[in-house]
Amino acid sequence: MGLVYALVAYGFQLTYATSKSINFGQGELVMLSAFCSLTLLDWGVPYWLMIPLGLIIGALLGLVVERAAVRLALEQKSEGWILLTIIFGLFAFSLAENIWGRDDRPFPTPIPSDSFSVFGVDLTWLEVSVAIGVFGIMGLIELFKRRTLLGKAFEAVSADRDAAELMGISATQTVMLSYGLSGVVAALAGILISPITTVGPTMAMMLILKAFSVAVVAGLNSGFGVVLVGLVLGALENLASLYLGSGWREAPGLILLIMALALRPNGIFGKATIRKV
Amino acid sequence: MKRFLLVRGAELIALLVLAAIPLFITNPFALGLLTLLAIYGILLIGLDVTVGYLGQVNLGQAAFLGIGAYTSGLLVMNGGYGILPALGAAFVLCLILGSLLALPALRLEGPQFALATLSFGALAVTVLNEWEDLTLGAQGLSINRPALFGHTLDAAWFYWLCVALLALVWLGMRNLLSSQWGRAFEALRDSPIATDAMGVGTYRHKVIAFAFGSALGGLAGGLYSFNFQYLQPHSFTYELMVILLLGVVLGGRKSLWGAVVGAAFIVLLPNLLSNQSMFRLFSIVGFIIAFAGVVQGLKDRTVFRFQTLAPVIAMGMLVVGSFTVEHTEDWRKAIFALMLFSVVVGLPEGLMGYAGKMLTQLFRVPGAPLPPASNLDDVVPLQNADGSALLELKDLKRHFGGVKAVDGVNLVVKAGTVHGLIGPNGSGKSTAVNVISGLYTPTSGQLLLDGKELPYGSLYQVAGAGVSRTFQNLQLFGELSALDNVMVALRDTYKMPWPLVLLGLARNEEHKAQADALALLQLVGLEAQARIKAKDLTYGAQRFLEIARALARKPRLLILDEPAAGLAHPDAHNLVEIIRRIHGRGISIVLIEHHMDVVTALCNTVTVLDGGQVIAEGPAEEVKRNPKVVEAYLGAAA
Repeated sequence: MGLVYALVAYGFQLTYATSKSINFGQGELVMLSAFCSLTLLDWGVPYWLMIPLGLIIGALLGLVVERAAVRLALEQKSEGWILLTIIFGLFAFSLAENIWGRDDRPFPTPIPSDSFSVFGVDLTWLEVSVAIGVFGIMGLIELFKRRTLLGKAFEAVSADRDAAELMGISATQTVMLSYGLSGVVAALAGILISPITTVGPTMAMMLILKAFSVAVVAGLNSGFGVVLVGLVLGALENLASLYLGSGWREAPGLILLIMALALRPNGIFGKATIRKV
Repeated sequence: MKRFLLVRGAELIALLVLAAIPLFITNPFALGLLTLLAIYGILLIGLDVTVGYLGQVNLGQAAFLGIGAYTSGLLVMNGGYGILPALGAAFVLCLILGSLLALPALRLEGPQFALATLSFGALAVTVLNEWEDLTLGAQGLSINRPALFGHTLDAAWFYWLCVALLALVWLGMRNLLSSQWGRAFEALRDSPIATDAMGVGTYRHKVIAFAFGSALGGLAGGLYSFNFQYLQPHSFTYELMVILLLGVVLGGRKSLWGAVVGAAFIVLLPNLLSNQSMFRLFSIVGFIIAFAGVVQGLKDRTVFRFQTLAPVIAMGMLVVGSFTVEHTEDWRKAIFALMLFSVVVGLPEGLMGYAGKMLTQLFRVPGAPLPPASNLDDVVPLQNADGSALLELKDLKRHFGGVKAVDGVNLVVKAGTVHGLIGPNGSGKSTAVNVISGLYTPTSGQLLLDGKELPYGSLYQVAGAGVSRTFQNLQLFGELSALDNVMVALRDTYKMPWPLVLLGLARNEEHKAQADALALLQLVGLEAQARIKAKDLTYGAQRFLEIARALARKPRLLILDEPAAGLAHPDAHNLVEIIRRIHGRGISIVLIEHHMDVVTALCNTVTVLDGGQVIAEGPAEEVKRNPKVVEAYLGAAA
């Protein structure tokens, strides 16, 4: 569970690096991708073929967000992207409500849900698949960022957008790419988590709050941080619902977030920036 | 005066119309909508403080509405309190909670701030839902509307109460915004660094602004609970928050009118949606407006841009939707989203922002006349310059990682002197100044002002200690006029605590401040441009304005960071004159400069830095011939 939060949070980091913006509709992106994948399954598309198709849908949705919300706002040089991505989320939510209905629906998967135990810890195959998926995609993207020329362009745009442009890197395309990747990550998160939680319009809101908490607590530039904080948060939530009642499940994440912001505004694993005049 | 009458007249008429409505309309449904309008008006004025003036996306206001509603409701139902104490309690509780949230949250900017408020909102709903002993949770809480002074409040009287409170909030807000507080809000949005360096205290202003806005949310919440007489935690979730944001953005940020127009819009919208033909009409009108915008855009520019087209696409989707969709209620959120999108992209300043521009073009009225300037001696008193050590740097170091930008500088600036600080690029001048003025914390070493240690690493506290500075890269408050730029920095002028400012008791202070600021503008020769926005001044005038603003701090020590950089020759000559005048008042000056003619003309002593260390010190002529200095600038002789 915590790993899925980490994965959604990782999607924030990708886009924050290139454009200093975060998609506030990321949760809805996860939800929409999950619903689309579910529809593909209903049409009889086999599970293993559905995954790449779902990821492509996620990438396309990510690009839509980039074009319709982020680039528009960045052209105006304003913080309007927060509003615009929120608006995207609202629209997506309404769309899902009307197309797929308000009820949660189960998400079939070929992966068995029986549990086995390793060193005294009970695990299910589903949980293992989540872990493999999360580490797999994060590893791939990190490799891409560090080993390829295009990945270097990411870093360059992140460090100094104008200088990167002067060196012949198209910042706009890099930002587009980052949103596309972020969409892929969101779609994978949707496919991985849906068999566990079921799919419904409200899953977006729940996910996004958690992912935000994780991303901000860990810092917006630490891939390792999100995994750690994601796991801690997942554990805390289970403890809270066990001892305080299931209604309080959300509370520790929110308190953790506000406290972390108060103590380390740049995140536990984040770096402070030096102010210049 | 004319402008004053127009603005106040419009406000008065609006108030009278609002107040007179119940005399003619007795339809309880219509009256209920109007009551809600007044309540949302208060709520949005509160929200606009953060969204408009602080320029931060605040997603917590719905939570304050809920907290205020539950506070009032519970006090009345369980505590038997009257209506006014219950409303007061809601206001105060939200003021306190707002401060508590603001303390951590306002150290953040942009997305992180939005997140923090969003989390607070979610947390508040969770608590309201789960604390069932008190709030009855999801069951909901029924409330009876209590009497006011033994007078039973029927629908009309309750409406009047809401309108009266809205008028009070409006007045208070206007007083606050036209005072030092309003200026400070604008200033800290334009340049937080300069706001701190001018001793205004960015953080304190932000926290109080946010807390006050939240308290208004609480007040609106109290009224909300007595209006509906039934509360449920789920009324105060994310969806309401987005709708509230829609109201503020649509109505127009930074505008009291905008907040009320926005409130009217979000109150009427659900009713519009339930009527299919009204909704069709409405979306077509929206589409035509958006389309007119595109035509206009095509005429003005030759370049075709997605930005102008986007609202049309969104409104077009709305029109198509209005004719094809059966149950518009189900699509409410999507409709909100489309409209909000069109407004944010197409009308970033909102309806009232747009209307305000049109009106000022229609009625060209001059601003209120300025008072005569104060005597300069009263504004910046003559200081005795006894030549004692004013500022001392003892073995000051500042390293960035492995870069030793300032590496063991010892320096004494004597009172009443102009002390030059020169050196090649990268020699550590600017870093030294940034350490002195508190932008950076020193890695090691000591800073003494008058023998007392300066506060380290806080622009605000150093400004308070009597050190004032200008910036190499201008840090003016662009949206403020030249006069306001100086007024915002005036020291020891604004003493009125903010509750009294709300009551409009700060007028005399304002006049005094205007006169004082005008005297400082005269000193730098900008009195004729007092009303011009800082960003519209010429480059040279902007440099001079920074100096006037720094002087408003009435400093012991004035640090000028490359004031002549980029100045045309006549301006550079004026600069020398201005600095002489300031020096003549006994103010000590540290001058960082590359223009040797300016340095030679002004400085009593010159210190030369290279590689973060002092390599020479003495009178300008002597230093210029020092072989070490020549080497630093021109390289070693071969």
